[in-house]
Amino acid sequence: MSTDSTNTVNQAAAKQDPQQLHDDLHEIWGNPKGLKALTIVNHTTLGLRFMVTGMVFFLIGGILAMLVRTQLAMPDQDFMSPDIYNQVTTMHGTVMMFLFAIPMLEGLAIYMIPKMIGARDLVCPRLTSLGYWCYLFGGIILTSSLILEMAPSSGWFMYTPLSSSEFSPDLGSDFWLLGITFVEISALSAGVEIVVSILRTRTQGMALHKMPLFAWYILAMALMIVVGFPPLILGSILLELERAVGMPFFEVAGGGDPILWQHLFWLFGHPEVYIIFLPAAGIISTLIPVFAGRPIVGYGWVVFAIIVTGFISFGLWVHHMFTVGIPQLAQAFFSAASMLVAVPTAIQVFVWLATLWLGKPKMKLPMLWVMGFLIIFVCGGLTGVMLALVPFNWQVHDTHFVVAHMHYVLVGGMFFPLIAGLYYWLPLFSGRMPSENLGRWGFWLTFLGFNGTFLIMHWTGLLGMPRRIYTYDTGMGWDIYNLLSSVSSFVMSAGIAMVLLDIALHFRFGKPAKQNPWNADTLEWANSMPPSAYNFVSLPKVETRHPLWDDPNLPYTMAEGKHSLAVASHGRREMWGTDPITGKVREIIHLPGNSWWPLFAALALAVVCISLLVRVYALAGIFVLIAGVFLLRWSWENGTHPKAAPEAAVTPGDPPLHSRTMDGPGVWAMAIFLIANGSFFLSYLFGWFYLWTVSPEWRMPDISPLSLSLLVAAGLAVSAGCGVMEKLIRGLRHKSDVGLGAGLYLVGGLGAVQVVFTGWALYGANLSPTETSHDAVMLFGLIYALFHGGLAVILTVLQGLRVGYGYVGAYAPFEPVVVAQLWRYNVVTFWVLVGALAVLPRVIGS
Amino acid sequence: MRERNSYTILSNIQRVSSRRVNLIALIAVIVIAGFTAGCSGDKSILDPAGQAARDVTLIWWIMLSFSAVVLIVVTVLWLYAFKPREVTRTAAQERGIARRWIIGGGIVLPVASITALLAFGVPAGQRMLPLGEPAEVIEVIGHQWWFEVRYPNAEGGEVVTANHLVMPVGEPVDFNVSGADVIHGFWIPRLGGKIDMIPGRVNRIRLEADIPAVFGAQCAELCGVGHAHMHLHVESLPREEYDAWLGARQDEQLSALATADADQEEVRDAFRTHCASCHQVAGVSSGNIGPDLSDIGSRATLGAGVMVMEEGAVSQWLKHHQTLKPGNRMPSHGDMDTDTLDALGAWLETLSP
Repeated sequence: MSTDSTNTVNQAAAKQDPQQLHDDLHEIWGNPKGLKALTIVNHTTLGLRFMVTGMVFFLIGGILAMLVRTQLAMPDQDFMSPDIYNQVTTMHGTVMMFLFAIPMLEGLAIYMIPKMIGARDLVCPRLTSLGYWCYLFGGIILTSSLILEMAPSSGWFMYTPLSSSEFSPDLGSDFWLLGITFVEISALSAGVEIVVSILRTRTQGMALHKMPLFAWYILAMALMIVVGFPPLILGSILLELERAVGMPFFEVAGGGDPILWQHLFWLFGHPEVYIIFLPAAGIISTLIPVFAGRPIVGYGWVVFAIIVTGFISFGLWVHHMFTVGIPQLAQAFFSAASMLVAVPTAIQVFVWLATLWLGKPKMKLPMLWVMGFLIIFVCGGLTGVMLALVPFNWQVHDTHFVVAHMHYVLVGGMFFPLIAGLYYWLPLFSGRMPSENLGRWGFWLTFLGFNGTFLIMHWTGLLGMPRRIYTYDTGMGWDIYNLLSSVSSFVMSAGIAMVLLDIALHFRFGKPAKQNPWNADTLEWANSMPPSAYNFVSLPKVETRHPLWDDPNLPYTMAEGKHSLAVASHGRREMWGTDPITGKVREIIHLPGNSWWPLFAALALAVVCISLLVRVYALAGIFVLIAGVFLLRWSWENGTHPKAAPEAAVTPGDPPLHSRTMDGPGVWAMAIFLIANGSFFLSYLFGWFYLWTVSPEWRMPDISPLSLSLLVAAGLAVSAGCGVMEKLIRGLRHKSDVGLGAGLYLVGGLGAVQVVFTGWALYGANLSPTETSHDAVMLFGLIYALFHGGLAVILTVLQGLRVGYGYVGAYAPFEPVVVAQLWRYNVVTFWVLVGALAVLPRVIGS
Repeated sequence: MRERNSYTILSNIQRVSSRRVNLIALIAVIVIAGFTAGCSGDKSILDPAGQAARDVTLIWWIMLSFSAVVLIVVTVLWLYAFKPREVTRTAAQERGIARRWIIGGGIVLPVASITALLAFGVPAGQRMLPLGEPAEVIEVIGHQWWFEVRYPNAEGGEVVTANHLVMPVGEPVDFNVSGADVIHGFWIPRLGGKIDMIPGRVNRIRLEADIPAVFGAQCAELCGVGHAHMHLHVESLPREEYDAWLGARQDEQLSALATADADQEEVRDAFRTHCASCHQVAGVSSGNIGPDLSDIGSRATLGAGVMVMEEGAVSQWLKHHQTLKPGNRMPSHGDMDTDTLDALGAWLETLSP
């Protein structure tokens, strides 16, 4: 693990013929053709697939926007009926947010992050693939509702009761809830693996404070996805349960509260704005130093700003709800917090300014888009501060002023940086340079069209035009401004069309790019252009923030195999596993190869989604099981399985394979996933306490229906199981696997006892979950416990089986450590659940 | 080559900008003049008619001016940074400059602005709170897609109307709002901020009208297909007129009005047959699903703001309401003959106290 030992490898590698090495690595990493292309797990290919798919959805969302502007161009138009108009506006927002902005930026991160941190792939390649398929299928299911004229029509934030079955009896809301939840699987999987990749697979020596700023931004984005998406997933599941089965979580008469939906939605929805903005700001922070020809000033300030933004953004959600009648004190708090988020943003803006000021900036095409970003985003930020002021918010909330503000923040804060980034990285994608002329036309038309549309729209809002009305009377003074907005929006569309045309044409006509065409400082430009499937022939030691500025020859020495891991003879996909803080090499990560399982699992989940949509629940149940089998089969091909890494031999002096250690990336992935799960669980507890304390017609039985003794028995069983598990892990840590298999079966048995007792408590409680929200919430919590208990049993028993097969043991102790974390999680959440559902009501009473 | 290009482009930008300054100034003047002239309007926040709205409008203009300055300064700094300069600085000097930018622009500027804004804004918000001595209370309930308006404290008993709200001038009024089905939004832009009308809850907002006038209002929260056709006619009257207006809408007056003309008994029967299960007309029927029609003839509009009330309007509405207000909850009257509809319309128009 020491530098010396890896240097020996370097020297050994240096003797190999680079071309031979390249061919050998290609043999291992290269993409298959034909039908087998569906099995590809490579991050470069999947990143591009994400981005191309995102662009297609962007075009769909854009066409919907043009329909909206056509309808609003003049008063009293009947181009669209109100129902169709509501579908179109709802889908415009939904598609742009969930099917374009987030997946597009995820795709960029998936493509770029390993290249920037000197890795060969993301750390869970099959998860990348699963994420892509879930995104694609979910997106298709959701957009198909438009063709069926059954699209959701309650607005992109789906406020209930409008979206409930009483007021939206058709399938529109179901399309939204199920489709979005399906797509969220993709966001979550990307979030989890990006976090682990950034923390654990940076190249040798790249300490956290040496990593490119873009990686900091993406790390924050990914962590925010992990924490921010679960509340929406919970909300969507609850609302779908209310619609499908009649469990009254949000219905007042049943003891629910529609405002709970708003809390859950905006608990996700506000961080979401920063999930979109942070990667875009990351693009800006990457481009500005390159075009200013100097390092960014205040790297530490930017990191500070990123972290502060991440934290504050979870404390702002109520500012979307100032008009629902929130108590004054809470409003003052959220108002101040919302304004405070301007501080980290302003820090970044002035870091960028100072960097330009102290450098020698060049106004290349990408910088033009950066300039457009700056003007639009600052403007959006300023109106954002205005909106945080409660009395002003009360006036303009739900008017076109807010629509304008939101587009300034999202288009300015995401779309402009995205195009800047696409132009900047185009040579990497294609090996060709963008044109300057068509690109400039595209920029100016987009910029002027955008401001023409949305600057004016602020005014329309101030004149009192509410959002989401499909028509308006003449004589309000709105006519001319709406017409100007509509005309400008078509100018903007022409600009965007020109940009897309420019990008498409450049693949054919662009001038071939030279290596590192913009003279950038980060490692992605050490790739060949376009990059090879394994990114780098050899992985360098990087101890500076600007590897390519400090050593312009680095791309060449890397390609010649003069750095580490330039070995292909073992046939494994390998890269470094490094320390999350210091970047010291800890182990060699061997990655799984191409696989059908992600596609099959996603297909099964798509069938589940469609069956739920058409309410064939038996079929949905069957396919949940099938998807589960696929996923477990996928997890079977790990570690020392013949398809993974049966041989553990490494070059002398190199660290061991991760599957032979107890701290591989899977441990981290499980931990990050459990953070997401914990966020889901906390959102659930929030819902329970919220309904208990706030819901207008909450009804609680005098005596808790749950048997405390059964639940305590279940809790003792899961605790005992976890204790035995810990003992087994301690044994493995001391290289002992005596009684491992039997021990795992015992743990599984204890888990089964927990499941049985919990199920018994549930059965004995005799809940009527369609009558009161109290019972519905209780049922949901117990099912959560049952599901997790059952999952732990299955995974543990499978581990026992793997011990029998010889895949797990003292020499390969990795997997039980992963499963043990689930046990710890289950113990904690189960006792908290017992406390919240069964003990507190007894102590406090109804 | 590339170097030269970027400089050419840059100097182009500068040349163009200096040449265009006059033009831009001219456009700016026209635009500002145009916008100022365009401030008025039935629903314009910028044409306030009450203290709460006036505070917000003032804050808006201050925030706008300040924001414009910030935006212009940032943009100018940005463009100026592209100007080629031959300055050599030591690393220490660079650090110093950077720190001044970041602390000055990134921390001091936003913190100072936010403090000033909160100092200004929080008191303004107080004025919209139902604090202090009790005020006149008007209840407004949002339905898909119309407003029910109730005056619980009217002398002589509660008065109920729909889509037509009358309030006294020059005194604070507490609006207690709620939603009957989905969430609606209560908002009279010229008087002040909005508040959501939520099923199961009562939200309260305090507003005051300075002048006797008519104000536009419409639902602000997406509430289904009729959202764009959910208007509220708001009228402020001097106290005596307001009291008189309420007085004329007491149950017995309205009943007398509806049943006064004995010749209309046939029409009233038609009403009882076709309309009574949903609509109330004092003295005739007591349906409570649709709007109360007891004083419909005196209202300014029909269908929650879809049509102006004039002679023959009600009959037109009855015949074409699904075209005029698509998706509204009243069944189409294709099964009724035109004469009946005309007669019903004419009779309803007489219900004007």
